[in-house]
Amino acid sequence: MVVIVCLDDDNGMMFNRRRQSKDRAVKERIGQLSSEKRLWMNSYTYKLYGGLCGTEIIEAEDFLELAGSGELCLVETESLAGVEAKIEKVVVFRWNRKYPADFWFDLALSEWKREAVREFSGTSHEKITEEEYCKKGTRYQDEE
Amino acid sequence: MKSNKRKIWMQYILIVYIICFGCLSMTACGSAENPDRGSAGQSETGQTYTASSLADIPEYTKEPYVVIDGNEPDFSEEDITTESFETYSELDELGRCRTAYANIGQDLMPTEERGSIGQVKPTGWQTVKYDLVDGRYLYNRCHLIGYQLTAENANEKNLITGTRYMNVEGMLPFENMVADYVKETGNHVLYRVDPVFEGGNLLAKGVQMEAWSVEDEGEGICFNVFVYNVQPGIDIDYATGASSQGSAAAVDTEQEQGGTEIRGNSNSKIYHCPGQADYEEMADSRNLVIFRSEQEAQEAGYRKAKR
Repeated sequence: MVVIVCLDDDNGMMFNRRRQSKDRAVKERIGQLSSEKRLWMNSYTYKLYGGLCGTEIIEAEDFLELAGSGELCLVETESLAGVEAKIEKVVVFRWNRKYPADFWFDLALSEWKREAVREFSGTSHEKITEEEYCKKGTRYQDEE
Repeated sequence: MKSNKRKIWMQYILIVYIICFGCLSMTACGSAENPDRGSAGQSETGQTYTASSLADIPEYTKEPYVVIDGNEPDFSEEDITTESFETYSELDELGRCRTAYANIGQDLMPTEERGSIGQVKPTGWQTVKYDLVDGRYLYNRCHLIGYQLTAENANEKNLITGTRYMNVEGMLPFENMVADYVKETGNHVLYRVDPVFEGGNLLAKGVQMEAWSVEDEGEGICFNVFVYNVQPGIDIDYATGASSQGSAAAVDTEQEQGGTEIRGNSNSKIYHCPGQADYEEMADSRNLVIFRSEQEAQEAGYRKAKR
């Protein structure tokens, strides 16, 4: 599966059960990445991202267990502990800002290889960095 | 300050404030429809300290803020409105700031770069530098309500003496979160910042920050925290603002001899020399980087300001 996350400067994701930030440009980009693909998410994430056009969105609380090979998972509130072996690729959107956090990304990206990086401007963020990570020694092959 | 103001009841005396806690608390945070996360993903080094009230704030250890009252802010029902407002309390008899309160909307947010605030000298102000402090200056003129939220410049009722650490590591992340939310949604956020002074101290021990998003009833923004006015590695006398690093006294920059200080902006990668237009304003910038020479700045990839 392909994991998509948004992180702040300290790899934070949530504070007080709420996402740290959002940006319409990131939502649009996630829509591009998941176009004509299956995108899994839980009910919390669905409230913001459920309207993506051209994407097969599946809402499930245990989506990390259900997602299959090559399928995308938009992760905001979940620990990745226990599903590391299923992850083929990680897409990180970095806000390039610091927010309060009490929930952090828990996958050690130092054990992954950054394959690609690009930057773009958001609607409320000056610079958003998109990174793609693959497991070291492997190269993720997109079905397309 | 803008015209759209509401008069609010100010809580000033700490004991009254403490009594009020628990009496009128909104349960907005609990009503937000959010997932019930477990502890997975939480870092052992993360901020997990909580306090039931301002009277229960633990001493600073390693995190810049502590959660108060389960992150539930204490706004009253009658304050809930979808009209923007901002209000700043009169200074007290010692010249200290008190509550700053606003309903942040896009119409209050800045449309131009921040102006000069260097003429304001909040209580406890000392111009001192330490090598171990990011940007070297121990104190910043800290906006109670950040410039990015209500566009207040040199409003003495909205500026306190705060450590660099409190300003950048403590308050700024919360301001960022609120600013992003308002920009993305067009919604309003009730936002209150209370500086907390002990006795007749001129330097606040910290600030209480509360926020609650109005249109979605706290689903987007909801917090209640105390941010410590401390600087790791520096001892501070809160009665006066005097400071020291172990046995070494602070360097008073107004008496410091020799050595030109070049002030860079880490965001724009532009540096300013003494006498240039924005040199003085850069002293309080969150993006301040100090260089010993123009050459050092240029080698770091900075270019000189044109004015």
